[in-house]
Amino acid sequence: MSANRLIKIELSKLNVHLPERRLSLREALSSAKPQVVARDGSVHTFKREELEFLAGLLPEADRDKLQLPILIALEPKLGRGTARISGEAEAKVVSQVLEKELTAGELLIYRPEVAILRRKLPTTTQYLFLW
Amino acid sequence: MSYKIAVVGDQETVTGFALAGATYVHIHATREETLAKLSEFFASGEIGLVLITHRIAEELGLDFRWMSRAKRLLPLVLRIPDKTGYVPKVDELREIIRRTVGAGIMVRKEGS
Amino acid sequence: MTIALAVSPTRMELLKLRQRVGLAQKGHDLLKEKMDALVIEFFEVLRRIQEARTKALEQLSVAHRALSMCFAVVGTLETRQVSREARRELQMEISTHHIMGIAVPAVEVGEVERNVLARGYSIHTTSSVLDGASREFERALKLLIELSELNASAFALARELEKTKRRVNALEYILIPRLREALKFIMMRLDEMERENFIRLKRIKAMLEKRE
Repeated sequence: MSANRLIKIELSKLNVHLPERRLSLREALSSAKPQVVARDGSVHTFKREELEFLAGLLPEADRDKLQLPILIALEPKLGRGTARISGEAEAKVVSQVLEKELTAGELLIYRPEVAILRRKLPTTTQYLFLW
Repeated sequence: MSYKIAVVGDQETVTGFALAGATYVHIHATREETLAKLSEFFASGEIGLVLITHRIAEELGLDFRWMSRAKRLLPLVLRIPDKTGYVPKVDELREIIRRTVGAGIMVRKEGS
Repeated sequence: MTIALAVSPTRMELLKLRQRVGLAQKGHDLLKEKMDALVIEFFEVLRRIQEARTKALEQLSVAHRALSMCFAVVGTLETRQVSREARRELQMEISTHHIMGIAVPAVEVGEVERNVLARGYSIHTTSSVLDGASREFERALKLLIELSELNASAFALARELEKTKRRVNALEYILIPRLREALKFIMMRLDEMERENFIRLKRIKAMLEKRE
């Protein structure tokens, strides 16, 4: 059935804006033009002021752990508008930006928080759609 | 890529932006002439931004809207007030919000 | 029921339909998440537009006042003449960046405001009033260039939002209800067939018992 195929195509297109390989904060900071290449071939550039802002939030040793862009994972099974931030360093940074207490290594955030996060880190965060 | 700037307006608008360094200018007189000039600007490839006064954009009506919709990402088009400060009552962006987001989501957004 | 009748009531078909409903529902939920994300992005751009627009339009009206003054002091014809002779080579850098796969422009513009010499008009015609008008228009132009980037982003996001909304609606109001209808039809037919089978078996059993 063609509707089936259309939906599959639609789903496969959801994440083409994400990079093949992410960049650690350390790599990004030391690069003259900090950028990643997305799966659709487009180039995504990080703003230096954002990178420096992030560096200020993390202990020096964590700069290798923080992978950019930070992924805001939207997953319908978490409930509409709920997003997961995976990764220890990523969760640490985001919880600080949102002034939110961090309980486990993983962080769940809600729609108004997603909006704030996107405003404060427009180039160093990206949406990821999971199912 | 580097791009230049074009202005379509009345005498005052054009004089002002020419003083400021805009490369291409056109003083609106007749619809036909202005539409022809605009399609030239849209096709040129070296123009990054076309400023046009609200009043003239309105006078050109549908023809202009179709042209703007059919063009590629560049040049960007921005409507601006003229000397009298004229802006139309119906704001284009507001219109889009009403159509795309609708009242439902706006309420939900505030409520969430 | 015309659509429902197009499917044959078999276990196989039931299984396939259940998968289709599952996929359609998944697609629907994900596109809805995407729509929500687009709304967040859209509202953020709108918020920035509001700020940028207020600033730019105020500056533009300041510039127009300065120009009126210039027309009065220097003369309309003279001012126009100078504007034609002025150096008019302002450049803006435009690249594209992507929000969720949508290409939006990223504009960079150096210093728009220039000094008297850089404006390139012959010294003897200049006056401080004329310089003032040029400066105010240069400032307005810089703000308008910034506004044009946001404006274009808002339109690009709005277009994608409209597209996504149409798809969500098609799934929610057309495809999924149709599939569910077909599913219900097959389940009913299978139930019916089972009942008929059951009755037939009972009848056969009764017949066999009678014969004994």
